[in-house]
Amino acid sequence: MTSAGILTPERTTAAPAPRVKPALRAVGLCKRYGHHTALKAVNLDIRPGEVHILFGENGAGKSTLISMLAGANVPSDGHLEIGTYRGTFASVAQARAHGVRAVFQEFSLVPHLTVADNISLGEEPLARLGLLSKSGARQRARRLVDELGFELDVDARVSDLARGKQQMVEICKAVAQAPRLLILDEPTASLSEHDAQALFALVRRLKAEGTAIIYITHRMHEIPLIGDTVTVLRDGQHIATVPASTPENELIALMTGRTLSNIYPAIPPVTSLGPVRLTLDGLTTADGLVVNANLRLRAGEIVGIAGLVGCGKSELGQACYGLRGISGGTLRVDNQPRRFSHPAEAIGAGIWYSPPDRKRDGLALMRPARENMTLSSLLFGEQAGARLRPRAEQDTVQRLCGQVDFPLRRAVEPVGNFSGGNQQKVLLAKGLAQEVGVYIFDEPSVGVDVGARQSIYQYLSRLAASGAAILLISSDLPELMGLSHRLLVMRGGQMVAEFERGFYDEQRILEHFFE
Amino acid sequence: MTAPNQTASATAATRAADMTASPGLLQRLSAQRQKLVLPFLFVGSLLVFAGFAPGFCTLDNVTNIARQSVYLMIVALAQMIVLIGGGLDLSVGTVVALSSVVGATAMAAAAQVLPDSPALAMAAGLAAGLACGGAVGFLNGVGTAVLRIPAFMMTLGMSSVVFGVALLVSGGVPIYGLPPQFGEVFGFGYWAGIPVPVIIAVVMIVLTWFLLEWTRYGRHLYAVGGNQRAAELSGVRTQRVVIIAFSLAGALAALAGLLLTARLDTGESNIGATLPLESIAACVIAGVALTGGIGRTLAVAFGTLLIVLVQNGMNLMQVGAYAQTMVIGAILIVSMALARR
Repeated sequence: MTSAGILTPERTTAAPAPRVKPALRAVGLCKRYGHHTALKAVNLDIRPGEVHILFGENGAGKSTLISMLAGANVPSDGHLEIGTYRGTFASVAQARAHGVRAVFQEFSLVPHLTVADNISLGEEPLARLGLLSKSGARQRARRLVDELGFELDVDARVSDLARGKQQMVEICKAVAQAPRLLILDEPTASLSEHDAQALFALVRRLKAEGTAIIYITHRMHEIPLIGDTVTVLRDGQHIATVPASTPENELIALMTGRTLSNIYPAIPPVTSLGPVRLTLDGLTTADGLVVNANLRLRAGEIVGIAGLVGCGKSELGQACYGLRGISGGTLRVDNQPRRFSHPAEAIGAGIWYSPPDRKRDGLALMRPARENMTLSSLLFGEQAGARLRPRAEQDTVQRLCGQVDFPLRRAVEPVGNFSGGNQQKVLLAKGLAQEVGVYIFDEPSVGVDVGARQSIYQYLSRLAASGAAILLISSDLPELMGLSHRLLVMRGGQMVAEFERGFYDEQRILEHFFE
Repeated sequence: MTAPNQTASATAATRAADMTASPGLLQRLSAQRQKLVLPFLFVGSLLVFAGFAPGFCTLDNVTNIARQSVYLMIVALAQMIVLIGGGLDLSVGTVVALSSVVGATAMAAAAQVLPDSPALAMAAGLAAGLACGGAVGFLNGVGTAVLRIPAFMMTLGMSSVVFGVALLVSGGVPIYGLPPQFGEVFGFGYWAGIPVPVIIAVVMIVLTWFLLEWTRYGRHLYAVGGNQRAAELSGVRTQRVVIIAFSLAGALAALAGLLLTARLDTGESNIGATLPLESIAACVIAGVALTGGIGRTLAVAFGTLLIVLVQNGMNLMQVGAYAQTMVIGAILIVSMALARR
């Protein structure tokens, strides 16, 4: 992209400029939990106007590190230097007072307030008599949103927004007071392509204004696009700090300690495809978010659905699973016309749906991983029955752990204890606990590191090879191109383009995202 | 959810590390404090009462505690089932009153019609009482699961409705005319040297434990309480699960009401007022999460025993009834503070 070219000279000048005083310096930061050391004496210099990428697998210590920079966590050892201050941050408020703002993956939004109210929360504009100025808050929010180029309705209630939009509200909040250091934790994980571009533009502008930025991402292609410097963490240790132009495979080797070839596995050849499992003819939902969708999905086939957030791709998957009313067209599973009013009917007919937001829709976090895995198999799987059979269940758990590469020994722990990658594996394991022919995956790799991503992709390809028909809904275009036999683009609730593998062209596919 | 939790315990741990040379034990205790609250309070109060309450450790008193705890035990099981499913039942107290009044009325009427077969009269009364409780629970379930009324409001409102019905049926006066065998067996009877109500309570504990740990329904209940949306997407009929949970709770509360009726030998509309608070306290002390998804049967049984034990011990130490009420509330608050997650 052209923007990367613009960034290149800056990068080369920024890297060897030791005389610039760092905006923030971390010295010997340590964090111990009992006998476990999450972070070992990490040093970090973040210069003003630098986009510093933190890179590492889930559990490498990135989250621990940024939580201490943002004041959400107190280091066991070491200190921070910011401006004239030396010490640690005891609270998020203290970190903010020193100009450090963080956007975490866990949002700090009040769901029942509007976007505008959330943006001005804590710094509400006042009208006469010290009353709240609602119009002031709205104007300020609108100005900010327009300035950032986000597509966001400032009057919408946050709880009504999709995750990606909520993420944008969070970013608006963080940059509203021009921070000295901005921390972004996987900001694009749930953003659409368009909003991600707007975010990159914002990051470049903040950078030009001298803001230091720490950026965590698992998307390799973003690193040269936006970063200046990359710090790689592994097992809580600082491994290396290298320029962002470092080749991908070198970065992955640094991150994992081993070399990783292609992260996309081979998918079964088109010639091996079986009969049509799922047919949509002119499917239209009652709420009008999906209009006249047509699709043939064959056994062994992976069909990708691409498009912006809100284009109807998630809603299409939900409609096939009985989560959205269908007002027109037909849905056929194995050539039988079907209408589902509850997911139980869909699973019974042979459809499985894996939701995009594992914490909200996918997992009971305080329950053991094993219970989450086998939940629906008690109704539809091999051990269906009113009484539990612990031995049969244990066998199933053992099989599932093997299939998704999950540590069996830890399956008794609550899912909430695990990293994002392992949580996602539990979610995927749920789908394997019973026999179904059609799988719908909505964002199966959101917010997981490259290592876990690779095993998820292998899982998808094995699933297809075993004869399952897979509908893969994703906002990650490279992932769709790497894994699917065919790719459909949705826009405004309609399917607007179809591409065959072999004719994939990122630029041309992206053009169909926008009118 | 985990992040602030980690932060809090980690901060506490750091502080502990600063104070002592061997942080391992303290740190582990702090991390496990949720699980340690109940055993700590239980053993602590046992020791205190054994030392200061005259006659606390006698066999008579132990039997007494077992017998006194029956009613709260069964209601606490009811409360636990609802709490695990993500609900809350504030109507358990008035359901106890309703089942007492309705059960006694039906039983007395049947005894008049069939004076020669008290067993049949008792069966009619028990059935009527249990059906009432189950029906109230069913309505609570429909209100929360289908109409999406918060359980707090639904059961609080229902509690008032049910109390009104109980007063209406009884006219506000005790109901007499129960077959004498009812009290003899279910109130004061012994079987193999153990009071019959205690046996019934133990059977209920076992049945509840079996339901929660060994059946698909139990697993679904934990899942619905843990994440209702995730359970729904896994094919669980979550509305049905919630309605069944409330109905079971209603029936259990009614059983407690009927056993209490047998003990009192009359149907009363003014019993059970303290049960909502005490049953919630028994559950919370036992680590049942008010947000749903977590709770163990055996722990709740011990939580109940703890509350009855404290009441019994204070009685022996001749602490006044007013002070006792204060202590029960304080225990609830302190145990919440200790177990805060």
